[in-house]
Amino acid sequence: MEALKRNPLVKKIGLNRILLVCVLIVMYIGFAITSPTFLSYSRILSAMNYVYFLGFLSLGVTFVIATGGIDFSIGPVMFCCALISGYCLTSYGVPMVPAMIISVFVGFLFGCFNGYLVAYWDIPPFIVSMASMNIAKGTASVFTKTQSVSWPQSSSAEGWYRNLIKIGNIPVGLFIFLAFAILCAVILNKTKIGRYILCLGSNTEAVRLSGVNVKRWKMAAYVICGTLVGIAAIFYVAAYTTVQPGYGDQYNNEAIAGCVMGGTSMAGGLASISGTVIGVFIIALLQEGILALGLNKNYQLIITGIIVIAAVYFDVLGRRRKN
Amino acid sequence: MGEVILTMKGIDKSFPGVHALDHVDLEVRRGEVHALMGENGAGKSTLMKVLTGIYTKDSGTITFEGKEVEFHNTREAQEAGIVIVHQELNMLGHLTVAQNIFIGREFKKGIAIDDKKMNEEAAKLFRRLNIDIDPTETMSNLTVGKQQMCEIAKAISHEAKVIVFDEPSAALTEAEIDELFKIIRDLREQQLGIIYISHRMDEIKVITDRVTVMRDGTYVGTLITSQCTKNDIINMMVGRVIYEDPKTKSMVPEGAPVVLRVENLNAGKMVQNVSFQLHKGEILGFSGLMGAGRTETARAIFGADPKQSGDIYVNGEKVVINSPEDAVKHGIGYLSEDRKRFGIVVQKTIAENTTLATLKEFLNGIFINKKKENQVAQQYVDSLATKTPGVDQLVVNLSGGNQQKVVIAKWLARNSDILIFDEPTRGIDVGAKNEIYKLMNRLASEGKAIIMISSEMTEILRMSDRIVVMCEGKITGELDIAEATQEKIMNLATREIS
Amino acid sequence: MANRNGTAGKTKSSLDRLGGQKFVVLLVIVGLFIFFSLMSPNFRKYTTFVSILDYSYYIVLMSIGVTFPLITGGVDLSIGTGLICYSLVGGYLISFYHVPVWAGMLVTVLFGSAIGLLNGCLVALMDIPPFLVTLCTCMITRGLGSIIVGGFGITWPTAIQPGGWFRNIFKLSTASNTKIPIGIIWVVILVLVMSFVLNHTKVGRYTIGIGSNKEAARLSGVNVKAYHILAYVISGTFAGLAAIAYSAVFSTVQPGTGAGFELEAIGGAIIGGVSASGGAGTVTGSLLGVLVICLLKTGLPFIGLTANWQQNITGLVLIGAVMIDVIKKRREVK
Repeated sequence: MEALKRNPLVKKIGLNRILLVCVLIVMYIGFAITSPTFLSYSRILSAMNYVYFLGFLSLGVTFVIATGGIDFSIGPVMFCCALISGYCLTSYGVPMVPAMIISVFVGFLFGCFNGYLVAYWDIPPFIVSMASMNIAKGTASVFTKTQSVSWPQSSSAEGWYRNLIKIGNIPVGLFIFLAFAILCAVILNKTKIGRYILCLGSNTEAVRLSGVNVKRWKMAAYVICGTLVGIAAIFYVAAYTTVQPGYGDQYNNEAIAGCVMGGTSMAGGLASISGTVIGVFIIALLQEGILALGLNKNYQLIITGIIVIAAVYFDVLGRRRKN
Repeated sequence: MGEVILTMKGIDKSFPGVHALDHVDLEVRRGEVHALMGENGAGKSTLMKVLTGIYTKDSGTITFEGKEVEFHNTREAQEAGIVIVHQELNMLGHLTVAQNIFIGREFKKGIAIDDKKMNEEAAKLFRRLNIDIDPTETMSNLTVGKQQMCEIAKAISHEAKVIVFDEPSAALTEAEIDELFKIIRDLREQQLGIIYISHRMDEIKVITDRVTVMRDGTYVGTLITSQCTKNDIINMMVGRVIYEDPKTKSMVPEGAPVVLRVENLNAGKMVQNVSFQLHKGEILGFSGLMGAGRTETARAIFGADPKQSGDIYVNGEKVVINSPEDAVKHGIGYLSEDRKRFGIVVQKTIAENTTLATLKEFLNGIFINKKKENQVAQQYVDSLATKTPGVDQLVVNLSGGNQQKVVIAKWLARNSDILIFDEPTRGIDVGAKNEIYKLMNRLASEGKAIIMISSEMTEILRMSDRIVVMCEGKITGELDIAEATQEKIMNLATREIS
Repeated sequence: MANRNGTAGKTKSSLDRLGGQKFVVLLVIVGLFIFFSLMSPNFRKYTTFVSILDYSYYIVLMSIGVTFPLITGGVDLSIGTGLICYSLVGGYLISFYHVPVWAGMLVTVLFGSAIGLLNGCLVALMDIPPFLVTLCTCMITRGLGSIIVGGFGITWPTAIQPGGWFRNIFKLSTASNTKIPIGIIWVVILVLVMSFVLNHTKVGRYTIGIGSNKEAARLSGVNVKAYHILAYVISGTFAGLAAIAYSAVFSTVQPGTGAGFELEAIGGAIIGGVSASGGAGTVTGSLLGVLVICLLKTGLPFIGLTANWQQNITGLVLIGAVMIDVIKKRREVK
């Protein structure tokens, strides 16, 4: 194990990520053995549907967790974005493109709200999350008069938006998602904003004493997260078309699970976009596998819950050992 | 003074690389207040930690009430009757005074806590101490002084026979100190043995019966307070050690311009009406004892903490500094005394730490130019002789001295003309210390202006061109290096304030 | 920072003892009550009053329990979905395995305690952030409840069925079919008991101690871990009690619901003066705070707003309450 850790190639990619990929492969083989239908292309495509929106949520929350904060309003906010923009589309006749912009904008606003309260008011992130979760659900319900909203089907005039995830059998969404993941990785690792987010997650006071406006950058992390949540909403409806008000909480945990499994530390300062991407694939595969085994969604809730606790515990253990 | 209650004899304690206590003796009698004095780092705290069981001694004996004892933790010491009143208060602010005093050993009536009895007992304690505190008051509503009284009451409630006061007056007002002294005298009347650690010479004269002086981990001697002068004590504290090449005269060229002028700066109790000037190419030493307000002054100038009033002029122009961001803009850099908390981002690389304050200059559009960043970081690694395999090394893997160099590199990269070094060599081994000294001299000769806060007399005398001495949040004197001696500095640092 | 001015400290504390914030919250409750009564004739009816209470019991009970983890500086997000899970399991045993109702109720409460114990151990022994632990157990209980009962709604015995007596715990029907909301009595008793626990027993004292300065409490010889765990057990147990209140009021319990209840309970506690950073709080305060939320929730429909508005208002009121807390603290520092 030690020798493996010192291997330069392993070091470059990161042992953690190699192990994650192994987990992914083992899971895939395991599901394929237990359920023969699992290997079919349509199964893979259906698992992909899950990857898209969850991936964007996970990417977003990675930025927030990198600052040492948390946002578990993302699921309901995503539904809020999809509902408000969808309602504009179906009931107020707003065309497709502006509707999508509305979706992203609503996410952006929630990001600003969360970030402002956390960064400038020092309100604990979990309280802000709880409040904005409720506000997201309430606003969406009020706006849509508690009706579910169905985005257009593929066959209708405005149905082209569904091509965002799939044209024929080509998973276009996968490429878009990976492109965004690369973009996020670039932002996190190559730009000033990412640098400051990671550094302030590690030691806010040292960054402040270096003459950096830490509040602004902390807020920026939440704004990025919110914006990505707005995009996630578009991919959610592209995959499933129908959204119901009052739901969305279960995705919080799954997004956070993808993120912490990938090696992003809850204590802040350490974040890995590639880890998050692999984590998201594992969660999506898990979801599809559980369905393939004939079990229902509830098992997934339990398993993701256990995964998050385990992943965070290993993170805590690792930090304890270092001290 | 009664019979001897506590004797510590030949106490020896080493930590890796440091001989912290070298055969130290201490004797305390019943009904005496015994002062323990020495410069910062003389070993007073270590000795007290050995006494109360926080550290185990390597050799030597502790005799308490005629029996040889050895405590393994504070609890055992407490049960035997030796308690310490810490400088930092260990209080639960949301609970009441009585609840704090008896936490962990509440009186009970059935399953309920008998708060009434606890209040009565606490009131009894306060009566015994002649203090006027309501036991039902919430702790956080009390002044720091009153909180300290509660700590003392808590100590006494343990049936203490020996009480150690670790700089009890540091955070108190004059009136509160008077009250504290009244209590201490009462305790003396009640035949308790009291060990009193303080830097304030005037207090020592007023309250103590005997004084034991320590220096560099050794026992220097014990005097009867009423029969000695302040100068006797100071002489024992500073000793006659020959220091390595102290500066004999200022290296600042005649007529060097003033780059930083601070006027009537006020920030809380620890910074009162501070005014001074700093010249180009000068190393200005800030001397004083622990808690004299030097770090607070530096943080207020740098905008890290809010200030109430005062003007700051950089290069003759008045500037507004409300945050570190402003300070950095005006070319001020601050190297904190606590590197790990305030200086470096340990989980990041040397290169990333080096450019933390100057990231803007390394941007290519929106991207960070890693190549340039690494180049510049490497440049500083070379010029500061930082020992590291490469600039992509995480800072957490570096030694203290090398971490300090990374922080220096951060400010040099920013091209800061005014550098504040707060205890630049704390926790750094001797070899690395010399390198930091050389570096500071080089920076000064290149025209940087440096404020150096240091608690080490050697460092102050070796590095400074001019020395500002602070005491109790005020500047008590300014000395040119040519006229500065340890005695003069110590005299200013312990000046009586009437 | 301690207040340097002795006299100012005195006046502040005496105001605290009167319960400044509690008093304001009480005024708000009275104000809301008068407002709704004036706006809507229906609101003034006795039956409305009874139904407001019906919809409040379970949230009030959760709020009493969650006050404890909040005071330690943590949080328990698992109480909402937990409540549904415990109720489902208890009801399932009663309906399908013909377990006596009292035993089903006992299982419901003990299940709550068990999840509380799990939360407490993960937080206190494994050092995992409380919001994360309870966010996970929130999801886990949600899944678990559905799996155990097979995904269907569960109906506890109705008032006329055998075993239906338990519905009378909270609401007695007289011969003339007038309802007497005797649940108030239980709530008052529980509030008094838990107030006593918080203020006059070691459990409460050390709960406050953990939230105020955990390290100081530990150094004073307090078994910090055990009391930390206990705070979550209390919260879980009260979620179990809330599950019974919920089952007694609603005809069926649906799996997959319950998310959001915890916010009403936690929000109520914080409005009632529990500090978001721990250390301070009272059970009576939490009760009053949660009544504000219950009044809004039940009153808004009477003035023509849907219950959804209440979600927004709860969120905003919560943020507002914490902001006031932050402003107070900032002032003290100055």
